[in-house]
Amino acid sequence: MDRIWHSVAFRLALLCGGLVVASVLVMSSVFYFVSIGLLARNIDSKITSITEKFSEDAESNGLSVVAQRIASTLTDGVDSDVEILLLTNALGQKLAGNISGWSERSTPVDQTIDRMVNRGDRLVPSRVRLHRLSDGSLLVVGRDMQDLSEIGNLIGRAVAIGGVSAILLAILATIVFRHQFERRIWAIRQTTQEIEAGNLDRRIELSGTPDEFDRLSADINRMLDRIQHLMEGVRHVSNTIAHNLRTPLGLIRGHLEEALRGVPEQRKLENAGYFAIGAIDDLIVVLEKLLQIAEAESGTRRQPFEPVVLRTVVTDLLELYDAAAEALGITLIVDIEGEPTLHGDKDLLAGILANLIDNALKYAGSPAAIKIQVRETVQAVSIIVQDNGPGIAAHERTKVVQRFYRLSSNRPGSGLGLSIVSAFTHLHDGTLFIEDAQPGLKVRIELPKLLALII
Amino acid sequence: MLPNTPSASLLLIEDEQDMARYLSTGLEEAGYEVTHADQADQALKLALAQQWDIMIVDRMLPHEQDGLDIIKAVRLASVQTPVLVLSALASLDDRVRGLREGGDDYLTKPFALPELLARLEALIRRANPSTNTTIDNRQLRLADLTLDLLSRKAERGGQPITLQPREFKLLEYLVRNQGQVVTRKMLLESVWDFHFDPGTNVIDVQVSRLRNKIDKGHSTPLVHTVRGVGYRFGVDG
Repeated sequence: MDRIWHSVAFRLALLCGGLVVASVLVMSSVFYFVSIGLLARNIDSKITSITEKFSEDAESNGLSVVAQRIASTLTDGVDSDVEILLLTNALGQKLAGNISGWSERSTPVDQTIDRMVNRGDRLVPSRVRLHRLSDGSLLVVGRDMQDLSEIGNLIGRAVAIGGVSAILLAILATIVFRHQFERRIWAIRQTTQEIEAGNLDRRIELSGTPDEFDRLSADINRMLDRIQHLMEGVRHVSNTIAHNLRTPLGLIRGHLEEALRGVPEQRKLENAGYFAIGAIDDLIVVLEKLLQIAEAESGTRRQPFEPVVLRTVVTDLLELYDAAAEALGITLIVDIEGEPTLHGDKDLLAGILANLIDNALKYAGSPAAIKIQVRETVQAVSIIVQDNGPGIAAHERTKVVQRFYRLSSNRPGSGLGLSIVSAFTHLHDGTLFIEDAQPGLKVRIELPKLLALII
Repeated sequence: MLPNTPSASLLLIEDEQDMARYLSTGLEEAGYEVTHADQADQALKLALAQQWDIMIVDRMLPHEQDGLDIIKAVRLASVQTPVLVLSALASLDDRVRGLREGGDDYLTKPFALPELLARLEALIRRANPSTNTTIDNRQLRLADLTLDLLSRKAERGGQPITLQPREFKLLEYLVRNQGQVVTRKMLLESVWDFHFDPGTNVIDVQVSRLRNKIDKGHSTPLVHTVRGVGYRFGVDG
């Protein structure tokens, strides 16, 4: 019972049923009021006017005239079966009328009231009005209400039947409605339960009619697609991370084992030790980079964004990488128009540029030229780092932002550079484009000047 | 790599026993007189009980204690002992907080012992400016090398050396820390103010370019490479 009460469908249906019953009741009362009520009021005014007419008659023409009139009214065939009339003298003796007399002494006069009246053969419910004339004689005018009360009963019965059928219909509607509701909800619940049990590729079946449930189900399905995609991403990332950590760990272990095998030899042990330290240091760098990516991707901003003058950032980096470029026979060209300023994190923006310049130094070959361009429009700043080296083949351009994806394993590197660039760019609401510089690689980063206000 | 200050007193606050033992050994070998504390309350008592030359503070201590709170308390008591924060909390945010709360340097675990030693030495030097170097506001001098801090010009043996602004800053840092080991990371942080891994051996290339400009044609080299650690600037290697 409690469970039924907690069902939305049941409560909705109950509410509808209640409303149906209430409206039937309102309708019946209105009907009753305009039919029976009106009739009753008409009857009352007619009784009053007849009373007035007869009493005036009696005062001016005498009781005998009125008695005659009453007798003729009762036999004129108009309403005579329902009319009630009585005239008695001051002593209570009947002068005319169709009831035997009026015995009740305490009956209020000059008021139209309900009374049971004995019409010879039976007692009938009636409306009556008593009027005492100036000589003490009594005039009783009334109407047999039997027929009206029968109509009233009829209406009452109709209302009862209507009400009961309305309630029955409401109950039926509740059952049907609840069944429909449950059926649709059940489809959703079944799917979610299956997903909970680990069956991630299950989706809610759509009924085909574009109703609310189908729209909701489609929304849920879309959400599930997204979650599944993200989870596969996470799984893929964990797999690659595990793989990329296991490989150097295996190498370290191998070198140490080899050094310890057989007779320990000072030089062998030393070499293995240095190798292990070097490899572990590389692993630490990889872990730090993964942490940076994770931090940027989770969107937990380390410091509040503030205005960053890009010329300063580029100059700082140039003064860090110029010696390396010189040594490699690579020319660094800087081309900044105006004084572009951006709302962002200086360290992260420097990180983006550092990784791009580092990549270019590694892969552009020698001799080569690396061009760093900064352009500004009203809404955005674009940072372009371009070289004239071999570039990246079209089919690999989307893959290079994946963690640990490397174009060639011959060169040192973690395969995380462009992943960092991508993560930092997204943290700035920016977009990363990897393009063909014909020849060479062109990495373009579009950064909006005003970030969407997500704090 | 003995620090120039003879047997400097060092308070090591570190709860991980293995790490503390390894650190104590390394620090004692380097000439430090090490006192070790592994609980926050004991550490705070020790920190305030006597004058230390330097302190190493781990961040995550037992019972949810943060080493930074010890530093705060010590600073509130107007103790100016240089403090190096040692922590596994590696994000830049943590670093910024560590320095804001009163730490003088921040090193993340895992670290290389030589890196730690170089930083400790630099901190002690900074706290006790040595008297034997010629430092004033206008000029830095070492052997026949002179740096004019106002005109940002350098010369060696009377010959002017052409330096770019950042090269001058690098040289200035090396001269100011002469005789000490400076690591690549220290140079990157102090001269360029960057806290990320710059990838290729950019610092080595920077130093070797500077070495070319400073030492070429002179019989006494001033820039010396310390294998596996970094560089030392001075007359004798």
